[in-house]
Amino acid sequence: MNNDWLKDNTFHYSQFNNIDCLVDEKHKKKLSISLCLPTLNEEKTIAKEIVIMKSELMTRYPLLDEIVVIDSGSTDDTVRIAKSFDAKVHLADDILPNHEKYKGKGENLWKALYICEGDIIIYLDADIKNIHHRFAYGLLGPLLLDDRIKYTKAFYDRPIAIGKSKVRPTGGGRVTELVIRPMFSLFFPELTQILQPLSGEYAGYREIFERIPFPIGYGVETSMILDICEQWGMDVIAQVDLEKRVHRNQDTKALGRMSFVVMKTFLNRLEKLGIVEFKKDIFDQIVQYQLVKNELRPDVLKMAGVERPPICDLAEYRAKFGNCP
Amino acid sequence: MRSFIDQLDECPAKLRAIKETIIANIVFLGQIPAPTFHEKQRAIKFLDRLVESDVDECTTDGYQNPIGIIRGRDNSQAPIVVVAHLDTAFGKDVDHNFVLTEKMIQGPGVLDNSVGVAAIASLPVIFKHLGLRFDSDIILAGVIQSLGKGNLRGIRHLVKTWPTPIRAAVCIEGGELGRLSYYSDGMTRCEIKCTISERGGAEHRFRPNAILVLHEVINQMLEIRLPQKPRSRVIIGKISGGHKHGTVAYEATLGLEIQSDADRMVKALFNDIKDIVTGIGHEFGVKMDLKTISNVSAARLKFNHPLVKASGEVMRHLGIPIIGDPSESELSIFLSKKIPAVTLGLTRGENYQQPNSRMEIEPMFKGIAQVIGTIQAIDSGVCDE
Repeated sequence: MNNDWLKDNTFHYSQFNNIDCLVDEKHKKKLSISLCLPTLNEEKTIAKEIVIMKSELMTRYPLLDEIVVIDSGSTDDTVRIAKSFDAKVHLADDILPNHEKYKGKGENLWKALYICEGDIIIYLDADIKNIHHRFAYGLLGPLLLDDRIKYTKAFYDRPIAIGKSKVRPTGGGRVTELVIRPMFSLFFPELTQILQPLSGEYAGYREIFERIPFPIGYGVETSMILDICEQWGMDVIAQVDLEKRVHRNQDTKALGRMSFVVMKTFLNRLEKLGIVEFKKDIFDQIVQYQLVKNELRPDVLKMAGVERPPICDLAEYRAKFGNCP
Repeated sequence: MRSFIDQLDECPAKLRAIKETIIANIVFLGQIPAPTFHEKQRAIKFLDRLVESDVDECTTDGYQNPIGIIRGRDNSQAPIVVVAHLDTAFGKDVDHNFVLTEKMIQGPGVLDNSVGVAAIASLPVIFKHLGLRFDSDIILAGVIQSLGKGNLRGIRHLVKTWPTPIRAAVCIEGGELGRLSYYSDGMTRCEIKCTISERGGAEHRFRPNAILVLHEVINQMLEIRLPQKPRSRVIIGKISGGHKHGTVAYEATLGLEIQSDADRMVKALFNDIKDIVTGIGHEFGVKMDLKTISNVSAARLKFNHPLVKASGEVMRHLGIPIIGDPSESELSIFLSKKIPAVTLGLTRGENYQQPNSRMEIEPMFKGIAQVIGTIQAIDSGVCDE
């Protein structure tokens, strides 16, 4: 397998810590930048993300133009806290109200395209405990300074040595290593160079995001990579080492549900690309078992795998942002 | 003095407008573990924040205390030092990720003293935001090795080696808002350790228990008569020892502090305790060690000292109720060198010394405003009278 992409399109956030230079480039290119934080019950971490991004990348350096929180209906104090620190807060259900409502991270990201004004949109998960502004400027660096790059993705943690003096993380968590990396290896070996395809931190030009479909749930990261590669090729993607990321750990059952959605998205893409053909429909519910009073009971959860179309297909979107090129 | 006092009215609101900058500094600095003797990473970050704020000179002194200097307009004036200790009581094994909510910040060491350090790191931005310039140079210092066994080494070095006279100093602590410390009691902090040989044999007919030996030390200390004047007390603050429930304790340690507003009384009490420890060691046939961890001399400004009066006026103007407490921290080092100084508390909170320490955000704006008012008072010459 050719490893050129890994060498040419892998960066470290410290390559972009001259933030003045990023601001100059942004102004030179007449770009605006939005930071989007999708939330669901993130009262312990949301304020810190907003405060640090605002302090460092809006007040100290005018790199970001807006911070937008898209909330899925938190039942804790997430919305109130986010508003108290002056983020623009929207409930996902209130956006594009004429369309059917769904719950999920992908849904929030898709609707954010309608709300955010920026030419570049940064998506960060809202549960990062060790948030630092490198999470944003690191992802912006290649987009602003390298004209080839249209989409950047984060990776972090778990170091392995590359060459004599370089250390890189190997990849992601359990779902990455047990599900998506084996899948990539089987069908798209070149994509294994993306070290953490499921990381929740990525950024890109609007012209990319508006032309790809968004699964409403966890499958969004998988589909995004596959769709961008298919439409524009892998060279428009870069990955950026953001070093350490501390976040909430999920239990095995939750990871099982996540794996189900990721696999379903992947299999759908394989079929769409004509790589495989299913002789019958695949199911859309995951069955997990739990022991209740010495009896194994099935826990069945329907995960239909709904996808939103490319948002530039929507008349409302085109009315606000013009026709997609 | 009135002109800037009146302007202080708007100060908390103006500080609230840049709250993100101040809170970001609390998070960035406070999330770096800085147990005493291991403050290097926090010191580097403190210096980085000053550099990023375009402070005129940023450096470390010979003891690795990070220092920033904001140059004043009048180079004939001695500098004003604003200082906070960088070290905290929490090691690297404690989760230092702070939790920020609408009104509170929670995390180990946030009150003692990450908020103090962050306030100093934010002062350059705050001064710019408020359009403030000073005649004196303003020295912004984070000092290392203050707490416990650190014995104020960082601040001792800074004051001892500073090449010019110092006009006055403001020491900043996280809590409590309203604290106005202008005197230090004499203090000796010490540790009594009882060790019993684990070997069997004829050494002891009945093997003593280290915890019970210390218990006897405590009993005898409680019999020491403490004078009303000079005001004196012995605080027994820490005890540890033993291995497991069913085994005699071979080792136990007692931590205590002797405090008095007269140094001679501290010395006398220390000698009394030393006699008790020696006597009990002999009586029980065990090894007893009395070790001094740190000490400071008693020193004070008078309540009617211009700096104390000016600080009090600033606080009253901001509606901050004043609590006069002694401080045995950085303040004592300035006062012992005859440098006028006060310690101010920035905000309110709870679980002050616990890993889940919480500080309130809103009172901090008044807390920082009082620091600014006090610096302005010093710069206007109140200490020069």
